[in-house]
Amino acid sequence: MTIGDRVPRGDGPEKVTGQAKYTADITMTGMLHARFLYAERPRARIIGIDTAAAKALPGVFAVITQDDMLDVRYGFFVKDRTVFATDEVRFEAEVVAAVAALTPEIAAEAVRLIEVDYEDLEPILDVEDALRDDVDLVHAGFASYEQMAGVDRDRNDCAHMTSVKGDVDAGFAEADVVVSARYRSDMSHAAPIEPHAVIAEWQGERVTIWSTSQVPFPARSQVARTLGIPESNVRIIVPHLGGGFGGKCDVHFETHIAALAKVTRRPVKLVFTRREEFLATDKPRHAAIIDLETGVRNDGTITARRAKIILDGGAYSGDSHFASEISIMMLQGPYRIPNLSAEVHTVYTNRTPSGSVRAPGAPQTVWAVEQHTEEIAAQLGMDPIDFRRKNLVEDGDTGQTGQRFDNPNAAACLERALEMAGYGQELPEGEAFGVSCGWWFSLPVASGAYVKLNADGSGTIVTGAQENGSGSVMGMPALAAEELGMAPEQFSIVYQDTSAGPFDLGSAGSQTTMNNGRAVIDAARQVRDELLQLAAHTLEAAVDDLELVDGAVRVRGAPTVAVTIGELAAQAHGGELLLGKGSGQPLPMPEHDASECVGRLFYPAFAHPSFFCHVGRIRVDQDTGVVQVLDWSAAFDFGTILNPIGAEGQVEGGTVQGIGFGLLEGSIYKDGHQQNASLLEYKLQTAIDAPPIKIAFVGGPAPAGPHGARAIGEPPVVGPPAALANGIAAATGARVRHLPMTPERVWESMQATGVN
Amino acid sequence: MAARQYFAPNSVDEALQVIGRHGRIGVVAGGTDAVVGHRSGKSPLADAIVGIHRLQDLNGIKVANDGGLCIGALTSYASLLSSNEVLERYTALADASAIVGSCATRNVGTLGGNIVNASPAMDTGAPLLVFDAVTELRSQARTRQLPIAELWTGPGQSVVADDELLVSVTLPSLPPQSGSAYLRLEYRRAMEIAVVGVAVQITLGADGVVAAASIALAAVGPTCFLVDAAGNAIVGRSLDESSTAEAAAAAADAARPISDNRASENYRRQMVSVVTGRAIQVAAARAAGRTVNIPASQRWREATQ
Ligand SMILES: Cc1cc2nc3c(=O)[nH]c(=O)nc-3n(C[C@H](O)[C@H](O)[C@H](O)COP(=O)(O)OP(=O)(O)OC[C@H]3O[C@@H](n4cnc5c(N)ncnc54)[C@H](O)[C@@H]3O)c2cc1C
Repeated sequence: MTIGDRVPRGDGPEKVTGQAKYTADITMTGMLHARFLYAERPRARIIGIDTAAAKALPGVFAVITQDDMLDVRYGFFVKDRTVFATDEVRFEAEVVAAVAALTPEIAAEAVRLIEVDYEDLEPILDVEDALRDDVDLVHAGFASYEQMAGVDRDRNDCAHMTSVKGDVDAGFAEADVVVSARYRSDMSHAAPIEPHAVIAEWQGERVTIWSTSQVPFPARSQVARTLGIPESNVRIIVPHLGGGFGGKCDVHFETHIAALAKVTRRPVKLVFTRREEFLATDKPRHAAIIDLETGVRNDGTITARRAKIILDGGAYSGDSHFASEISIMMLQGPYRIPNLSAEVHTVYTNRTPSGSVRAPGAPQTVWAVEQHTEEIAAQLGMDPIDFRRKNLVEDGDTGQTGQRFDNPNAAACLERALEMAGYGQELPEGEAFGVSCGWWFSLPVASGAYVKLNADGSGTIVTGAQENGSGSVMGMPALAAEELGMAPEQFSIVYQDTSAGPFDLGSAGSQTTMNNGRAVIDAARQVRDELLQLAAHTLEAAVDDLELVDGAVRVRGAPTVAVTIGELAAQAHGGELLLGKGSGQPLPMPEHDASECVGRLFYPAFAHPSFFCHVGRIRVDQDTGVVQVLDWSAAFDFGTILNPIGAEGQVEGGTVQGIGFGLLEGSIYKDGHQQNASLLEYKLQTAIDAPPIKIAFVGGPAPAGPHGARAIGEPPVVGPPAALANGIAAATGARVRHLPMTPERVWESMQATGVN
Repeated sequence: MAARQYFAPNSVDEALQVIGRHGRIGVVAGGTDAVVGHRSGKSPLADAIVGIHRLQDLNGIKVANDGGLCIGALTSYASLLSSNEVLERYTALADASAIVGSCATRNVGTLGGNIVNASPAMDTGAPLLVFDAVTELRSQARTRQLPIAELWTGPGQSVVADDELLVSVTLPSLPPQSGSAYLRLEYRRAMEIAVVGVAVQITLGADGVVAAASIALAAVGPTCFLVDAAGNAIVGRSLDESSTAEAAAAAADAARPISDNRASENYRRQMVSVVTGRAIQVAAARAAGRTVNIPASQRWREATQ
């Protein structure tokens, strides 16, 4: 087995045969069940909370509120949130109190018995209003909040960032044509099939928390902070995770349940309903308003762009700043734009807090930018593909903060996807191709792993990395095996336990293979060195003359002079253990200059950028606006493909999820309340909706991750809504400027354009 | 909290006794509406649950001497779809059965459950209406027959009494040269709920002129309902663009849609006209002996594939 082989994932059989245990499957002796009391109003002052009746209900062990918690605020970028509501509730599903009882039914009954006296306040729901000076503050105390250095915020704007390049006014002065448009997207959800679940149990001063977290280490630090105990006393274990898509990033309800377990001195379990999953998990994709204005010369040269994005951050900032910065980096995208002035505001409102859904900030921004791209071409009377060919970045071009592109594969992806799709062929009435291009990054950060060999020569990888279903942690054995001349099946993995593995950022930022893979390789190399030392002694040969092949160390050129790894491991247990620890050095960010930009944090430039192109063939029912996706082609330059099964799986899943964001997935809000908080009314794509998907991986190894691999997890979801939008416009002659592009919105656009 | 009681009667008489005592609201057939309704909090399960899945007398399809069908209330969609009579002669019911939920829903969900649940968006409602279906309701005291058009009184409401079971549904025989179709406007291809549903049943005369026609709508009023004016618009005429458009306009006129999360009132009304026109085409094609794949809703999606 080598790098690049098609390897089925290690945890597949237990998952598909129902043996895999998820958090909700765990039951403990004496366990209690938790339910939450939610605000059920978008904005109100809390006058008083009376828990007496709830506490008196037989079977109730505890009812807690913020009064039972430390007076600390938490939040990754801005510490704007308390565990339970303090004084004011800011969105409909803000947690006001929690109950632990013998059964979930008793807990629910107790929740009904809690009396809260509210003074309802006018909710702030319009992001443009929220930015005005004469509008109420969602957080009256915003100025006193602690924050990460570099965050630029004021009043209701909790993340303001800019991207400035060249001289936009001069750029517009050179333009023959200026094209502008406004696009809007609704909030959408990560919607993993497994809803959130948490179990907490204390022994002495230490708490163990089983949680559906995508990021156990970052969650642990927030739990430690809010409970006021050291991180060493908090152990977070993630059993199998049933999907996350970003919705399980950050910290959620670990502290609430740990607090209940502490006062009741019993294990306490919380399992969310689907409705709670929509309303309360507070990590949907940001709703956005995107204004774009671009100047072009008649020959198709882009001279300047102005852009403004307003993201609806909801009631608390959470990890919104990732979305802010990624969205701003999508505004130039893969195109050559010499002059750019862009800004993003991320606004507090009285809605469910938004967060990091797979490729935060990107699908909706690229959907707007790529429609805009084709609208510019149309205004110039240019073919949209030719317009892209003219403007896609090439070797030596610079990105929006000056990073230089080194042989980017932007154009290669476009050509390959067009070719797979059969673009240009005559299509029946109502059908059209839709195209989108874009880019993404690989995130270089610290990560750790141990590799150890057991007495029989089998291996164990102990890693801090989190498997959220993408298969990336399942790929670690292949990387270790490659270094050690072993087979991937010889390794077990200990993972998703903060007390076992070293730090890792978690399943976020498409970073697992890139960074934890580097760590595993680093650790395996230490073991390799140790093995070679031992073997040199046994074989009486110089280390430099030895090689590790097929489970044995042998003398180069004399393969019969060999000792198996099993023999060496057995020997080692009589003396020095075979143990490696690794992290490796994250690659540096590319050279760039963001000194003119405001509020920039993690992504002032895109490290090891990759490019992509989607081409969908769609059919629009001209009478109903129903869009059917017939066929799909996508090309990516992901560098070395370590395991095609995994890479293709990410592209297929991301494409279908992106189609869902494009066509149907959006929250409908009325007066600060989500109206479609169920899988009946919030429509995901089903298996039979998925089109056939053709995939090409373009380009060679990249100087980014292990063996030349780039990040894969998030980018596939970025482009599909944009490709669909351009397809719809091509099929109907009408632009849909509101995401998701539901049948009714498509139909309305056709009516408005007078197409029918 | 009171303990819940569970009954699983083995005969219809035993079942009627139990519901005579505890009331019908605890009846569970396939449970695909009952359990979802309970979980969502919309209609909590009763304290006494009566599982009727063992009532073999309520399961199955019998062909009457005149060619009509008597379908037991417990008959699943999967069973309906394995009946040649349903597929060939009551094709609109097959169109509807084939698009309910997913495979699992079609294996577990029952026709009786769909009827008594009385959702305005139910898929078998419009087909049963155009076939003039007659329901049989039984209590300990009596057995009565009720035309399906008289059964529903509003969303989730019917005249089925608290001590009654729906036992069966009878579909009268159809003259030769009859064809039918049910089409649903849907946003995705499975696990969908009708935005607009239209059933059409057409009988052609020897001259190719429409001898009889019946058109019913789903998801655009408080219950599924027949639109006589729409059917009448094509009777005695040959089917062409103008007669079809008249029927479609009559259907749209009669629709009483609401705005909800799935669609606005205006869009729904416009779509009634579109879907009615298409359903007429399919029903007419089938009446003329041409084959249109089941489910007919797929037709516009697959037109060019
Ligand atoms: C995932 C999913 C997808 C679905 N998709 C569709 C769809 O596409 N189209 C559609 O129309 N429906 C759909 N449904 C709804 C549901 O499956 C159908 O209405 C089904 O036919 C209900 O039958 P059941 O046997 O499961 O009913 P149950 O849930 O058992 O019962 C429903 C109601 O009818 C009463 N009842 C049942 N049988 C009798 C009887 N013989 N006498 C008296 N009362 C009775 C029960 O008391 C209850 O009130 C879907 C449901 C789910 C969960």
